[in-house]
Amino acid sequence: MNKLEFLTRLRNRLENGGMPADDINDALTYYEEVFLDAGFGKEEETAASLGSPENIAVDLLRESGLNVDPAPSMPPQMNNPQPNFGQFAYQGAYAAAAQPVKQRSTGLTVLMVLLAIFSSPIWVPILIAVVAVLFSLIIAAISIVFALFASAIGMLFAGFFCLFEAPAIGLMFLGISLFLGGLIILITKPVFSAVIPAFGNAIKKFFNWLMGLFKKGEKTNE
Amino acid sequence: MGFSINASLLDAMVLSIVQKNDTYGYEITQYLQKAVDISESTLYPVLRRLQKGEMLETYDKEFMGRNRRYYRITPHGVTSLDEYREEWRNHKKKIDNILMNEGAENHEQT
Repeated sequence: MNKLEFLTRLRNRLENGGMPADDINDALTYYEEVFLDAGFGKEEETAASLGSPENIAVDLLRESGLNVDPAPSMPPQMNNPQPNFGQFAYQGAYAAAAQPVKQRSTGLTVLMVLLAIFSSPIWVPILIAVVAVLFSLIIAAISIVFALFASAIGMLFAGFFCLFEAPAIGLMFLGISLFLGGLIILITKPVFSAVIPAFGNAIKKFFNWLMGLFKKGEKTNE
Repeated sequence: MGFSINASLLDAMVLSIVQKNDTYGYEITQYLQKAVDISESTLYPVLRRLQKGEMLETYDKEFMGRNRRYYRITPHGVTSLDEYREEWRNHKKKIDNILMNEGAENHEQT
């Protein structure tokens, strides 16, 4: 038996046993490497020392807790300290040994959905509370800025009106309104300096993308 | 002739080999074959088990135009290896006491 034959037989047997594709590839990589490391002209010899691919496959399938045809419903080996799957998926694999990979994953998603639905009395109120708190914080921040802005304008007008009847009070109002104006700029500046450039960048990217589309189009037209 | 080697002893020996320096499947087998009759097919489940238990990790390194999978011991593997060694020391002493009459000799001497 040469390398190719050995690996093909091993793959077929593992696939029939319903081993996940990742695990199969891992095993085949290992055995292919053994052949390559053993030397070029030694394929037959190596295959003989490895034993039959069918027996290897049976051992590997049993080790990963999958069903094995020649010894039906054989329990996994006791000396395997860590079964590959959680207890749950593991039983699922048993029940669906013929087409286990797909069925197990859909079964799991169904279970996840069910779990989400049944636990909704707990997580829905929490989610709502979190969203509500965040929303109220944002509203509070916006209203503080708005209040500052409104009082600044109010002071400005009041200052102008009082300036002629009581110059000292008018000046004080004007001063307060300027102070509030400065405070608003101080508070909102980081927001603007972050938001406006981000907006600009987004527009720039969008146009670059658009240009890219046209360039591509030209190339395909040529 | 030979004594059978159990799974945990194999685990311990593989950990010990990999601890010395990072190595690959074929070389580990060659090493083990100095002491036990073992084939690559026996080694593969051992390596998988150690990987699943996060005692070994792998990385690929180029070798003559192909990738070779190297094994490296993890900190968790190092602590397990220490425990294995301690266990083996105790085990060996008890076996020697019986098989080599070492315990009895000690008694006679004292």
